[in-house]
Amino acid sequence: MTLSIDDARWHPIASSDDLPFRHVFHGQLLGRELAVWRADDGNVNIWENRCLHRGVRLSIGINEGGELKCQYHGWRYANRSAGCTYIPAHPADAPARRIQNRTYPVREAFGLVWSAPSENAAFPDLPRAEDRAWLPLRPMPVNAAPEDVAAGLAKALDAEGPHGLTVRAGDAVYFVQPVDSGRSVIRGLVSDPTTDTIPLLREKNRTLAKLRDRLERSAARKPAPAPLQPTYEKVSAELATMPDIAVPHGGTMIVVVKRKWQTARGVTGFELADRSGSHLPTFQPGAHIDVHLPTGLVRQYSITNGPGELLSYVIGVKREEVSKGGSHALADTVREGDLLTISEPRNNFPLRRDATRTLLVAAGIGITPILSMARFLDKSDLPYELHYFVRDADTAAFRDRLDVLRGKVTVHDALARDAIRQTIGEALGRWSFAQHVYICGPGSMLEMVRALAAGLDWPDEAVHFEYFKNDRVIDDSSSFEVELARSAMTLQVPAGKTILEVMREAGVTVLSSCEQGACGTCMTTVIEGEVDHQDVYLNESEKRANKAIMTCVSRAKSARLVLDI
Amino acid sequence: MTIKLYDFELSGNCYKLRLLMSILKVPYEVVPVDFYPGREHRADWFLELNPFGQLPVLQDGEETLSDSGAILVYLARKYDRSGRWFPDDPATMAEILRWHAVGDDLTSTVSAARLVLGMFYDFDLEKAQKGAHRIFRIMDEHLWFGEKDGRDWLCRPAHPTTADIACFPYVMLSEEADVSRQDYPALRRWTDRVRRIPGFTVMSGIFPAGPAREAQAAS
Repeated sequence: MTLSIDDARWHPIASSDDLPFRHVFHGQLLGRELAVWRADDGNVNIWENRCLHRGVRLSIGINEGGELKCQYHGWRYANRSAGCTYIPAHPADAPARRIQNRTYPVREAFGLVWSAPSENAAFPDLPRAEDRAWLPLRPMPVNAAPEDVAAGLAKALDAEGPHGLTVRAGDAVYFVQPVDSGRSVIRGLVSDPTTDTIPLLREKNRTLAKLRDRLERSAARKPAPAPLQPTYEKVSAELATMPDIAVPHGGTMIVVVKRKWQTARGVTGFELADRSGSHLPTFQPGAHIDVHLPTGLVRQYSITNGPGELLSYVIGVKREEVSKGGSHALADTVREGDLLTISEPRNNFPLRRDATRTLLVAAGIGITPILSMARFLDKSDLPYELHYFVRDADTAAFRDRLDVLRGKVTVHDALARDAIRQTIGEALGRWSFAQHVYICGPGSMLEMVRALAAGLDWPDEAVHFEYFKNDRVIDDSSSFEVELARSAMTLQVPAGKTILEVMREAGVTVLSSCEQGACGTCMTTVIEGEVDHQDVYLNESEKRANKAIMTCVSRAKSARLVLDI
Repeated sequence: MTIKLYDFELSGNCYKLRLLMSILKVPYEVVPVDFYPGREHRADWFLELNPFGQLPVLQDGEETLSDSGAILVYLARKYDRSGRWFPDDPATMAEILRWHAVGDDLTSTVSAARLVLGMFYDFDLEKAQKGAHRIFRIMDEHLWFGEKDGRDWLCRPAHPTTADIACFPYVMLSEEADVSRQDYPALRRWTDRVRRIPGFTVMSGIFPAGPAREAQAAS
């Protein structure tokens, strides 16, 4: 048997005990270095051992429980997907979400962690393996070729075989992990005697250590085999580039309502999961998804999840008394098991994770993005303070998730406006370097915090909030021509009408939601022409990039605009 | 009078003392000694302090002390009110001093290889690296069986001792000596534990570890 880089079989690469709480294990299989870590939810991640940024080994990184943080420049990668969730120098969401590290298949069985170059190979079938409890031996690294180690092992134990790189001897079974062409690890399993395991482990360890010494002496007499040369496939440009702007793909996916529950009076929680149970795209704290409602409307809801929680998104829906039908449709008609179409997460409310102090202020349903932020800061042990204002104590949503936070979290109920003002003023205090405040709530609350912060020397860039509404006066005096490239249509947009209206009149179906340039639903790719941006959805650099337009409010500075529609 | 540490920033042996003084919250002053490239440790004024010409040297009042392992014992006995870092029990003391000697063996192997690769010293690189791997193998086995037996540290007490401080720096700096720790998973886990000792401090090439479960529960 010759060892090949293309060996598709499963091999053990670690013991389960090698992955204690918040540790990163350094492994290798067939020449490929691996960073292996267990997240707080128990999931084992096996990743290529290099950060996509500067190639630094992720095995020296920090396991933060739901994310792995690179030691060098603090890039973070999510449990399960290995999607990059944060780039300290580039905190906006869109670029980060597309970057993903290479992951390898994982199985955990018999006290060992297994991997393979791809999912294609069948997991090895150990006859009668399920009949008993297994005790993994101390792994024995050997500087010798895996096939020589397997042969030497069979001979020393007077066993038949080896079968591939596996040797069975009595009630023990040994797997030789092919680390590289000249390096191996012997991973043995014996029937667990449950008592007095240490003398047994010591005895087996002595035997294997003697064998190791013999195998290494004989390997030293042979010319050293050339190390395997794994080809590090380049991460696709789509996954590794950092565009100035996330040009809308209109990417949607179908999710199933896994759970629907009353999280507070008037607030319904929805847990949305992938239909096949696989993970959802990564997101950053503050991100939202568009939910396409059964009524045809599209509404935005913030993701409340903590770091690395990608098996479902949890959103909170407030049943508004005065509603255009969005919250009613969700809260009243959608049931557990129903399917919904949602967009990929997008973040207009990015959280900085380099602050010396973060103040989080939420009012009412505004708790949803703030909860996600608090959970991220909490997991990373960063200092924060959360003030949550509600009308009545029983309208405070997601209490169970707030209660487990370790930062200073205060729920204020039924405070009068002056008391709210005083509380926020005290919490803000005079600004000092690297302090940031995030506010989510009704417009009046945003204005109050902004005014208070300005009075306490907080600069604009330290005060963060998300627009749910565009207060700018829209200038619709221009007239221009719009060419819809994919629909092969040219339309005239007169003064007083929006591009969206003109397209609809011509029979073109276009999604929209707020129709005031705040939500991003009608965002369309621009192929040619200069955009007159009037929305509050795109940031300044995205506007300068001139690659996308909100057709509900923005117009053209040029005489002609070509859109990808 | 403040303690004076004659120190070279990149020396693992000097770092042992900075680490223990940080953990014990002992204030001190640093006197930088240009070990490389200046070779100031061979200057006359330094040889007056330590005729062996080795760093670190520590001055505390009337005392002028040298040898990192010896100074660890001095600091522990004088400034550690808990009495844990160098306990009184004779067998434990012997055990700790045994590992202090391993700390010195790491200096003559890992540190030697690191000086060849980083500061152009003329030592036998291959021999130094082989020696380092031999020590790491023994340490990994000792720590692996320790974990099985409920012992997290190099010596028998249920808490770290100066033995852990004496061995830690050159284990952590081994990558700079081109000595990988990949084959020593139990040794790697022990370095996580050392890096989570309250009061832990870093040096160039030694990164902190993430917070542990205990620290999370306590905060």
